[in-house]
Amino acid sequence: MSVQWLAVQSFQQNQDLLTAINKLSIHLRLQLERNEDAERAGEANKAREMLSSFFRELETLVNDTERGEEVPVLGANPRLRELARSFVRAKRNRRRFRSSLFRNGAGCFQQLLHSKTKEDRQALLESLEELRVLVEEHMHVDAERVLGEI
Amino acid sequence: MRDILRQNNADLLREIGLLRERLEKAASAIPPELQPFQGWIISFCDKLQATALQNLRNLNLGLDSILPNILSDTQVLTRNVRLFNQRLVGPVLRACESDRLCLKVLRWIHSTHSLTQQIPMALSDGDFASWPQLDWPTIYFMPPSAQHRLLYLPLFFHEFGHLLYACHEPEMDELVKALQKEITQFLEPRGQRDDRHAQSEAKRRSVIVETWYEWAHELFCDGIGFQMAGPAFAYSFSMYFRVLMRDQYHIRAEELEHRDHPVTWLRIRLLADRVRRMGFEADAKALEDTWSKIAATMGVVEDYYGFYSDEFLPSIRQAIDDMLVEAAPRAFENQEVSATELLLLDSALTLSSPVQLLNKAWRKFLDDEGGYTAWEKNAIEGLLNDKTLI
Repeated sequence: MSVQWLAVQSFQQNQDLLTAINKLSIHLRLQLERNEDAERAGEANKAREMLSSFFRELETLVNDTERGEEVPVLGANPRLRELARSFVRAKRNRRRFRSSLFRNGAGCFQQLLHSKTKEDRQALLESLEELRVLVEEHMHVDAERVLGEI
Repeated sequence: MRDILRQNNADLLREIGLLRERLEKAASAIPPELQPFQGWIISFCDKLQATALQNLRNLNLGLDSILPNILSDTQVLTRNVRLFNQRLVGPVLRACESDRLCLKVLRWIHSTHSLTQQIPMALSDGDFASWPQLDWPTIYFMPPSAQHRLLYLPLFFHEFGHLLYACHEPEMDELVKALQKEITQFLEPRGQRDDRHAQSEAKRRSVIVETWYEWAHELFCDGIGFQMAGPAFAYSFSMYFRVLMRDQYHIRAEELEHRDHPVTWLRIRLLADRVRRMGFEADAKALEDTWSKIAATMGVVEDYYGFYSDEFLPSIRQAIDDMLVEAAPRAFENQEVSATELLLLDSALTLSSPVQLLNKAWRKFLDDEGGYTAWEKNAIEGLLNDKTLI
């Protein structure tokens, strides 16, 4: 019996995360650069909700992970544990990850998600861009398991 | 960059359109049990097409700053189309009459739980596995040779356990977390030291505790298998793995770290414990004896290197029992599994459920191996013609 369930669930969660990141990013860009995009506001709000709920879960795991390798991360599947570890490593890698999300953490990101100021929206866009990179790198393992290699 | 993305999205649109045509043409030839799945994948095709069109509309906005996002969206779509192509359309395009046995049993399994009744499912070739997604159909994988027999169908109940876990994930994760905390306490050293050796031991304990997330998940699915299918599940599971390889009995300590499944021998021990607690002493003993004999023949000594100890057993029992209560699967009924009742069942015409047939199959196989093949052929025919089952 193989553990495809784990790879496919993680693969799909990451696909959904990327879709949410892109929907919200395109909406924010259109607002900032053209001062318009009422058409996508509904979808952008759904993306906010999805990201907010994801970060509520991830934040607990990140806190546990930051306590060190001697402390186990409990009640989470191995792919989510690995994502939390990648997030912690990214926070420590200031050369690659400089956005507010990685400097100030998930709590601050939650505030940015719902802020209406131009500066915060710019900061949110930068955070989303780096989050996209992190998720894309993380999902490589699942994609390989689910889709195989050519 | 815009032209590259336009080309890819336009091509994806054509590819999805072609697939949609083929899926619609295949509709008339698919077994009735597969129709809900076929309906789902046609609507998924429409969603994929809508995404490609949205990407093309986004490209027409002429905004350079969103090109990285459109690229990412195009990558997501490409992966979804590939997944769709590789795994989802096959069960429809390659459907054949002989899929009906597995599909009928799977459809019945889904119908037994309020949370899974509406989830479409499909069958694909491969080693036993499943794709249990709540907003997707569940794909069940089974080796082709097992698809036309009764003896390994009980393993679907384990796979169904993965779907039930997904249906109750937050509650299940909390129960697993509680078990992990108890295992943490069992592993806690009596005296505290503060040196490099103590640190490395702490890391090792942490790995053991984390590994129990995956193991608890699998043991829960084994529990679902037995609770729903009874002794047929235990025999099926044991037979499928017992002569596969040495790894089923023993795994080196470093390979146990973050391993997806517990060593199969340990799963057999815990399954036998459950079988015994449910009152099937003879079946439990048969399981344990079989595995002990094979292990002895290979010269394997049971050792889980601290990943399992008998003192964990009461906590594991309690955790899996609690998870089963939370999942609330349909439990087997006495007349479906009792040896005396099964003896009275002379044909599939009086069948009350697939569980009864699968247990009858195992009793027949164990008591009269020579007459089994002919009996199985008739029994399968009876099941397929039975209009009383979903």
